[in-house]
Amino acid sequence: MASAPCLSGRPALMKHPGQGRGRTAMERLKHPPSLGTVLARADGPAKVTGAEKYAADHYGPGVLWAGVKRAGTPHARLKALDTGRAADLDGVEAVLTHAQVRGTNRQGVIRKDQPVLVDDKVRHCGDAVALVVARDRQVLAAALERIELELEPLEPVLDPTRALEPDAPLVHEDNPTGNLLLAGELVRGRGREALADCPLVVELDLELARQEHAYLETEAGWAILTPAGALEIVASTQTPFRDRAEVAEALGLKPELVRVIAPYLGGGFGGKDGITVQSLLGLAALACPGRPVKMWWSREESFLAGPKRHPARLHYRLGADRDGRLLALEADLAYDTGPYDHLGGVVMTLGLEHAGGPYHIEHTSLRARAVYTNNPVSGAFRGFGVPQAAAAMEQVMDLLARRLGREPLELRRRNLARPGRRVASGARPECSQGLDECLQRLAGHRFWRGRQAWKARAGPFKRRGVGVAAVMHGLGYGPVVPDVANAKIELTVRGGIRVYSGVADMGQGNASTCLQIAGQVLNQGLEDMELVLPDTERTLPSGSASASRTTFTYGQALIAAAGQLRRRILERAADLLFADSAGELSLLPGRVRHPASGRELPLARLAGLMQDSERVAVGRHRAPVSRERPTDDETLRLHGLPHAVFSFAAQLAAVELDELTGQVELKGFVTVCDCGRLLNRQLAEQQVQGAVAQGLGYALWEDLAVADGRVLTPDLSTYLLPTSLDVPEMDSLWVQTHEPSGPFGLKGVGEVGIDGPLPAVANAVADACGLGPRRFPLTPERVLAGLGRPGEPGGKP
Amino acid sequence: MSRVLLPRTLDELWELWRGHPDLALFAGGTDLLVRRRRGLLDPPVLLCLERVGELAVVEEHEAGLFLGALATLQELLEHPLVRDRLPVLTQALAVLGSPPIRHMGTLGGNLVTASPAGDTLPPLYALGAEVELRSAGGNRRLPVEEFILGPGRTALGPGEILAGVWIRPPDGPVRQHYEKVSLRKALAIAVVSLAAVIELNSLGRVGRARLAWGSLGPTVVRSPRAEEALLGGSLRPSELRAAAEIIREEASPIDDLRATAAYRREVAGNLLLRLARPGAG
Amino acid sequence: MKLHFTLNGRPVEVEVPSDRRVVDLLREELGLTGTKEGCGQGECGACTILVDGVSRLSCLMLAAQLEGRSLVTIEGLAAGGDLHPVQEAFVEEGAVQCGFCTPGMILAAVDLLGRDPRPGRGDIRQGLSGNLCRCSGYQKVVDAVERAAQGPLPEEKP
Repeated sequence: MASAPCLSGRPALMKHPGQGRGRTAMERLKHPPSLGTVLARADGPAKVTGAEKYAADHYGPGVLWAGVKRAGTPHARLKALDTGRAADLDGVEAVLTHAQVRGTNRQGVIRKDQPVLVDDKVRHCGDAVALVVARDRQVLAAALERIELELEPLEPVLDPTRALEPDAPLVHEDNPTGNLLLAGELVRGRGREALADCPLVVELDLELARQEHAYLETEAGWAILTPAGALEIVASTQTPFRDRAEVAEALGLKPELVRVIAPYLGGGFGGKDGITVQSLLGLAALACPGRPVKMWWSREESFLAGPKRHPARLHYRLGADRDGRLLALEADLAYDTGPYDHLGGVVMTLGLEHAGGPYHIEHTSLRARAVYTNNPVSGAFRGFGVPQAAAAMEQVMDLLARRLGREPLELRRRNLARPGRRVASGARPECSQGLDECLQRLAGHRFWRGRQAWKARAGPFKRRGVGVAAVMHGLGYGPVVPDVANAKIELTVRGGIRVYSGVADMGQGNASTCLQIAGQVLNQGLEDMELVLPDTERTLPSGSASASRTTFTYGQALIAAAGQLRRRILERAADLLFADSAGELSLLPGRVRHPASGRELPLARLAGLMQDSERVAVGRHRAPVSRERPTDDETLRLHGLPHAVFSFAAQLAAVELDELTGQVELKGFVTVCDCGRLLNRQLAEQQVQGAVAQGLGYALWEDLAVADGRVLTPDLSTYLLPTSLDVPEMDSLWVQTHEPSGPFGLKGVGEVGIDGPLPAVANAVADACGLGPRRFPLTPERVLAGLGRPGEPGGKP
Repeated sequence: MSRVLLPRTLDELWELWRGHPDLALFAGGTDLLVRRRRGLLDPPVLLCLERVGELAVVEEHEAGLFLGALATLQELLEHPLVRDRLPVLTQALAVLGSPPIRHMGTLGGNLVTASPAGDTLPPLYALGAEVELRSAGGNRRLPVEEFILGPGRTALGPGEILAGVWIRPPDGPVRQHYEKVSLRKALAIAVVSLAAVIELNSLGRVGRARLAWGSLGPTVVRSPRAEEALLGGSLRPSELRAAAEIIREEASPIDDLRATAAYRREVAGNLLLRLARPGAG
Repeated sequence: MKLHFTLNGRPVEVEVPSDRRVVDLLREELGLTGTKEGCGQGECGACTILVDGVSRLSCLMLAAQLEGRSLVTIEGLAAGGDLHPVQEAFVEEGAVQCGFCTPGMILAAVDLLGRDPRPGRGDIRQGLSGNLCRCSGYQKVVDAVERAAQGPLPEEKP
């Protein structure tokens, strides 16, 4: 039987287990990791044996189950709640409503507009209205059935255009800008006026779908109110420190009495960037003091209640001269943000900043809006507004290339903003820039060079195409919100090294990278290293696991902390070894050595001679911000515009269409990426491959369909993720620039790979059959509609 | 909470059934347990058939091949008799669900579920299969098209189970072809599918054509006129296009989440053109 | 209902309702949380286990079906502290990111290699097509199974 869960005294500790590993791996553990090589991830062994405990994996006698009664209607006033029949059920411990929420009952990062439990209005079908705590899941389900909601239906707002009409119902009556969460505009030169003078103008209208994160581990966690009155929460979350503040405020607690622990997540991708189960667990735990309470959203509930990628409508007009030089861009991006802020304004702002991509365009009118509706919540999702922008920009570039008869890679190279020049947002990136080399490498790839011959070999009823995309992706929070990490590192009493990670590891492997960095700075083998996963009581605030920033920012803080620890170790050792200075000493695995005398001091011995406070070092790093001011709009600046450091990628898709069915088969995909220096090639490949697969899903299969505010694809049988038979072999190539502001020259790689697949695939489809796709995902039906009947003169353009 | 019974023989099954007349049967559970999770049914007693080994056989008799209802889809996929004599069924099994689903699901289950999109159904129709139904009191046979009455509805009477399927494999030169159109390559419901069993005569022309479309109607769709259009021909594109026009006229599929009726109709015809490829099937 | 079956090589007796889902029985009554649940409807493969050597979805199995069977979960794969070749290959090839799909994916691979000791990459993709992964894009998972296949044949597990 599983042992009783216990939070205090059980750190989320990850060791490098010596047992159970193959011989080659064991050998590597003894030596300090050298940067740039392939190093197997440290969390591998526990995960492949099923030993790693995720937030959903804690059970035990006395654990209660908490569950949510959700609204089931997109827009309604809450008139009454009848919980009596539910509370009467045997095995029900508590039935809670907004009346039991002591704090503000409001959550959110920028605009706190989301209730823990609905008090005034229901704003989407997944809104949480009541919370039940019961002894097991059967009783929980029965109790939830018995709760009766008296709802007065209101006309729902279902479309972002309609939402902005003067007579549209309001999602938030108290919002001064009505259903507009945020709008922003960037104008350069003469803006859209300049289009009139362009010899060539191409135009594009796109509609992009809602995408579901669909992490394999749905939202989960557990919580307990300790006898000392502290609320301890273990949750699958990307933001443990921010959660603590939000939970405290929403529930009316002192933050120092709230502890949040983030074990390894079974995937996040932005869907767990913020409050999911945390406040609900806290509320349940407060109602059942001393009892552990657990919550684990079913897949259907995750579909209903979790945030999604913003669906968007984009309108682009791009003007150029006959030599292919871009002259003017007008772009309009409308993001349906759903009922709550949920970082929607920040998503919109990043999309706005990237609307014109990495190109130099003298005249731009870029406009974006994030609009409230009663559709499902839109929020953070890897890419964070940029996939939408890149979808449009990279397709309109190809439209232009076709009109001009110019080769698509060459057109892009011609118009890249070279280092020191402004990109379309009007700001100059302040970082290493390898995109031109990425494009050159892509041009040399066999898929590109051999594409005509490959296309000509298409079999009966097949058409082949190759398409490309060039993208950039800004790292971090922008110029105003501090992008800070605090690292803590310790020489343990046994002479090992313990790293206290402040940023959640949702699978991207930053935990492993931490150990690799610490091992590098301290010259220690991974065998004697441990990592403590984020815990508001033991590790230090380091911001969210998002924005491609975790290694970029935390890594620098860790280098600082590890450097400080190294100095302390050597200075103390110098005293003990009677060396003249620390400079005479070498720090080696497990010991300090004085080469001149041959004397050595084992780290275990040194640690034994140090006090606790001497063995710990702390480092802080704040990521650099842009000095550019493409806009004076302070709200836009707050929301992140502009960024300073960017990663870049050039991507290529090879597709084969079937003329009889419209099915699109991916025959290959290539990414050439500049994310600075690679600390660990395997990890960087993991990130790019995973991002590409999600981008391909966004292009071809994934559509969280909604009608009348209701989800039509409520589970994994109707919402289609690509399987191992759908995702092609992917080539990952690297252009390693050196980014001075990043740890050992690294830039973030988490998101850039997801920005290009949709336009690359769309461009490949257009290359195959002339069809310019406008609605995504590109289902077989949409492709076939454009192809027309096989053997008969062509279909619609 | 439901009680789960697990008989090992048909005799045990009949006895348990007498004791619990309102029980719900399942074999692999890949359909019933999913529907139960959705709240579509909540039977107090469930009976799992997976241990009734006598119905898991695959045998060759004078009258043809007998595929036991409880043979798993994986067992059928690997079985030499099925691969050699009924390749149209093998092709369908290979794209049904996923490996673990195939390890659990059964032919009987696919038939009794009677989904308009059931992957084994068009091949069984195209092969002219008959189902054998058994009860404590005896057994009977029905052509598969008389067994499946509508989505989720079969001709099973009270106290009857599907025991297996009888198929007389075509002899002589024959093309057996299956194509499933779906939105992804595994774990996918057919959007439209075609099973074709085309027997060639001594001149190498079409002597007999049986075409069966899935996901084109509430049950598998046949088209005697389309089949007739191919008779005596050699599956040239022009002949196939003529047959394609016929099925497009006749079919009345539905719009649903996965595709529109228009798409299904168009593709149902297009799939015939694949028969022109040498070596298809 | 009293059930008797073999689990990871050892006999087990439990008393549970006969309709308890096997995934819940493993995770709750038996404390083996290595088997995960991702969807509860057979669409993701995270709950994959081996039953008499064959991969099955434990979210679509009821406890009664276990009687007399021999089960292997992810916890039972490594013999005496050494990782199974497939586990080792997953670690070395970087096939593990968030790790939530990993137990099911590994058992699906063990099933595949039991049927086909030297599969090509296409066969591997086919063999894993019932296991969704959201992190990896499958490439390194295929690399890992290919690597495991090239090593010595995996031993028979009880």
